[in-house]
Amino acid sequence: MTDFDAIVVGSGMSGGWSAKELCERGLKVLVLERGPEIKPERDYVDQLRPWQEKNLDRISEEEIEKHYFRQYPGVAYAVKESNKHFWVKDDEHPYETVEGTQYDWLRGYHTAGRSIMWSRQSYRMGPQDFTANKDEGVAIDWPVRYDDIKPWYDYVEEFAGIAGNNDGLEQLPDGVYQPAFELTNAEKSFKSKVETAFPGRNVIAARIAHITEVTEEQRALGRTNCQSQNRCHFGCSFKAYFSSLHATLPAAERTGNMTIVHNAIVQSLNYDPATNRVSGVRIVDAETNEHRTYTSRLVFLNASAIASAMILLQSKSEAFPNGLANSSDQVGRNLMDHISGAGANGILPGFENQKVFGRRPSGGIYIPRYANITENDKPYTRGFGYQGGASPLGNAGGQIPGIGKSFKEAHGAPGPWRINIGAFGEQLPNPNNRVTLHPSKTDKWGNPQALFDVSYGANEHTMLEEARKDAVAMLAAAGCTDINSNPVNLTVPGNRIHEMGSARMGEDPGNSVLNRWCQAHDVPNLFITDGAFMTSAACQNPSISYMAFTARACDHAVKQLEENQI
Amino acid sequence: MTTRREVLQGMIVSLGGASLLSACGGVAQVIPSSAGGMRFFSEEELQLLSRISDLIIPRTDTPGALDVNVPGFLDGLMAEWANAETQRNQHRSLRELGMQLGRDFAEVDDSTAENRLASLDAAAFDGRPSQYSGYRSWKGLITQAYFASEEGRLQEQQWVAVPGRWDPSVEI
Repeated sequence: MTDFDAIVVGSGMSGGWSAKELCERGLKVLVLERGPEIKPERDYVDQLRPWQEKNLDRISEEEIEKHYFRQYPGVAYAVKESNKHFWVKDDEHPYETVEGTQYDWLRGYHTAGRSIMWSRQSYRMGPQDFTANKDEGVAIDWPVRYDDIKPWYDYVEEFAGIAGNNDGLEQLPDGVYQPAFELTNAEKSFKSKVETAFPGRNVIAARIAHITEVTEEQRALGRTNCQSQNRCHFGCSFKAYFSSLHATLPAAERTGNMTIVHNAIVQSLNYDPATNRVSGVRIVDAETNEHRTYTSRLVFLNASAIASAMILLQSKSEAFPNGLANSSDQVGRNLMDHISGAGANGILPGFENQKVFGRRPSGGIYIPRYANITENDKPYTRGFGYQGGASPLGNAGGQIPGIGKSFKEAHGAPGPWRINIGAFGEQLPNPNNRVTLHPSKTDKWGNPQALFDVSYGANEHTMLEEARKDAVAMLAAAGCTDINSNPVNLTVPGNRIHEMGSARMGEDPGNSVLNRWCQAHDVPNLFITDGAFMTSAACQNPSISYMAFTARACDHAVKQLEENQI
Repeated sequence: MTTRREVLQGMIVSLGGASLLSACGGVAQVIPSSAGGMRFFSEEELQLLSRISDLIIPRTDTPGALDVNVPGFLDGLMAEWANAETQRNQHRSLRELGMQLGRDFAEVDDSTAENRLASLDAAAFDGRPSQYSGYRSWKGLITQAYFASEEGRLQEQQWVAVPGRWDPSVEI
């Protein structure tokens, strides 16, 4: 007899889905969250007005040096004085990098994890993404194809609420969308000119996880339409953007089947060689340092690609001396992120008599991947998409010329519009890019620190150089003036916060950790559905894929439980 | 309607400085005092920053930078947010800015001060000359502080806290 039917490790983007799906199918589920509880009514600061913010909402430089020396430089646009409690303190949660390498491990430890701080761009992977490894002889083949996942994308999108258009693009499949945020006239002009000048390229409205036409199902969870505040990094009192806290955890909660325990840092999974099953989850309480073990029939790891790999590596036994479910030696390897640092901006003339009302959240436009899809003359493999948008320049935070009345009124006066686009590219899987356990350094609970060894290869560098040139060419074709494009400054690995690949899926247990259901080849009652399962990275923001794969894996796991195969 | 100088005078007094402004044929004569309530700015720096703030964001039919106490706000920002190195740099940039505007900048009449600052601003935004990076930094801070104030945000910018909708193209 176990304590629970299932234990879900992590309450973030994918953990919330595991909790919801398993609870709704009648399982008694324990969710273990390593951080403290976040309560929207207590901890959200989205309703704080600018004049109520301290010091322009800047964290003091001394505090950054002491507590946020990695988080702040990594995500300065989102880490502020009023919401710093959403981000980990680096001195409390240290990690190491191999000499000569860098890694940005940017995190939030609390209910719902990074699903309350994400940037909400939600694009499906396309058919080409599931066959690229096979076609190019890179790494290993995915054990699934787009059609296997398609119904699950439909399922999670309807529940989550994604604003977007169906654009009819094969490489970026259509989905179940609520109305998109309409493009500005400047963006429409950019779209028209770019699509004319480059027939293989498209400019579409960003697809973002915001409710724009609330469903009864969403209303029942206390959610409503986006109010165009663009205060999403501070929480959302309207629960309009998708997060575990707004959607999946409340859905799990209302079944009466969920127990959630906070401050429970998972240290290892116990393995029973007699049954070849995970038999328990061992935790240390972050506040009391007390150790406890919980048992269940099923375990879902949703701790993030890095933390889930580390939990496996920390779970050593006679049968698995290199870490649980790691007979392939692939746990912690193939760590991927997306790559940025190439783009351009410019002034788009002709819209000086227009402005906007409301503050559109997240992105405005998206340029789906065209490289090696509609254009096959590239000196690199795979590709990238651009995110961006056009908006009135206004007073640009004081960085426009002029003083006096005209300068003061520049924010609402007729004036130029600026467009910017920035690339998000695919990183190729490489087994040498990995996270391991530091041989000697531990955190304050005695857990090994992460040791990162991740570098980008020639393909990533070449791709971004080309992305920069393409960005400039598109802005020029659109008639931009004052085009500005800095030299490529490739983002530090981890900086895009799309950690993937550390326990990849595959058909062969000899070279992959998980099977086609995100189920460990070695240990049948163990599933991993955070970014760890990704066999390749594609170039789309991955959260919606984690959601779809999680729902699919839960369905499979429950069926196996019912058939007593687990 | 109060004059800018009266506003400036009220500002400095309200900030705790014991400075006096005396009017003399349209020339503001600022008499510094050693007493001051500032945590970061010296009296001289406060006078400089106040005059610049007033010229960059004057009172119109909405409050100006001095009405919403931009200099006092920035004094607090520099005292609380900036580390020692940034504080040193910002002091230095104010010193440089004072020299660029002329040692008598505090005493010259309004139109002379405005002309000098307008010339400096034009030079600072003609490309990105490094000798004016200090000015651009302070102009940015003044602007951000003003539009972070309730008056600047609501009256001047007509900011709506909860727009409730997105309209991508509004004719001005």
